Amino acid sequence: MTPNQPPPSSGFRMVRMLGTVSFICGLLIVATHINTRARIRHNQEIMMSESVAQLLPGMQKQIIYGIQPSGGLTILPGLEGDGPRLFAGYDGSGRFLGIVIEASDRGYADVISAMYTYSPEKQTITGFKVVDMRETPGLGDRIRTDRPFAENFTGLDAKFDFDKNQSSHPITVVKHGAKKNSWEIDAISGATVSSRAVGRMLQKSVQDVAPVISKNLDRIKRGI
Amino acid sequence: MSEQLSCHPSSGVAAPEADHPFIYGLWKQNPVFVHVLGMCPTLAITNSVRNAVAMGLATTFVLVFSNGLISMVRKMVPKQVRIATYIAIIATAVTIVDYLVKAISIDVYKALGAYIPLIVSNCIVLERAEAYAGKKPVGKSMLDGLGSGFGFALALSSLGMIREVLGAGTFLGYSVFGPNFEPWVLFLLPPGGFIALAIWLLIFTVWREQWGKRKHTAEKAEIPAFAEVGS
Repeated sequence: MTPNQPPPSSGFRMVRMLGTVSFICGLLIVATHINTRARIRHNQEIMMSESVAQLLPGMQKQIIYGIQPSGGLTILPGLEGDGPRLFAGYDGSGRFLGIVIEASDRGYADVISAMYTYSPEKQTITGFKVVDMRETPGLGDRIRTDRPFAENFTGLDAKFDFDKNQSSHPITVVKHGAKKNSWEIDAISGATVSSRAVGRMLQKSVQDVAPVISKNLDRIKRGI
Repeated sequence: MSEQLSCHPSSGVAAPEADHPFIYGLWKQNPVFVHVLGMCPTLAITNSVRNAVAMGLATTFVLVFSNGLISMVRKMVPKQVRIATYIAIIATAVTIVDYLVKAISIDVYKALGAYIPLIVSNCIVLERAEAYAGKKPVGKSMLDGLGSGFGFALALSSLGMIREVLGAGTFLGYSVFGPNFEPWVLFLLPPGGFIALAIWLLIFTVWREQWGKRKHTAEKAEIPAFAEVGS
């Protein structure tokens, strides 16, 4: 030890320094967040519109519905606002093609937000697409790219028992290769947590949205 | 300035005083080709030049930002909590980059989104903080960050170039060999990352050795008196 060296730091000094640095870091992060918020939102809306167009091929016109707390629907002018939104798609002649529904749940790293196509007549899920996620590259992110996993959603049974107000068979995620029933999702091995998150978000969303859609189906089909 | 330097990689991590901090990180102590650090992004996202450049620039931003800030507070931070302070600063830089990438380009975000938070655990960043920024003034530290960041970007884009040109037959998305070229898809797959890295490490090492030998003979020629005594 040289005589010039400062005396050992006190606990208070350490806490004060860490506190100051954390405070400055916090300010910087919040400032960046506030300044980029509008642009990020705009970009997310573009990603969402792309997903809707891919899930409903041939779509020429779409109407975005928001769900009211009473169970009714309101037409939204754009993608503003939060909460699950329903995208009803129509072809050039105004024929109803299907409904795309927003869903999200917590995955392994962060919230996975996704969209799925729901067919109200057959009460099945006919398409699924991840919009945004932070899952581990090479493992969890296969929920976006894995082809056998995507095949789960070509006709996933989502029947709803309207008398009991619950799903006839809740959508469940089973171990890879153990799928027996049409309402089960065959998980990706090595990405169990992410696969389960997908199952959870679909089950929760169907539970919330299926009654609303069935109540308002005529209106949605006519596009008003 | 660089003529005075030896070509052998120094065993220490801090730049000798004679080294220009920018050249040091960019070339002499290139984080990928010399230190073989930061292998996760090097192998994972170099399947196209654009991704490699974007990742390199994102890491450069983090390095400059964190080196600058760490150097600014270096005299105030008690040494017992310095690592915690560095990590907080690095994590802040990474979060800011994350927001910026999300705001600037959807395509880059889609390609790199999952990897950007991982910059926080890229050992190049903490290594530069501990070895350089914690001891040196702000300007030099930022220059050091810029050099190491560009060195990392250089390495990533070299790998990306081999992998994209051979694996997809394109460079920055433009076709290189015309429609009759059958791409070597292997180069886009994970093993291609290892092969491309090996090719570049070989080129780089041979180059450095040749350069070192040449300089050694040049130095000998400059001092004939010693040579005569020796013989």
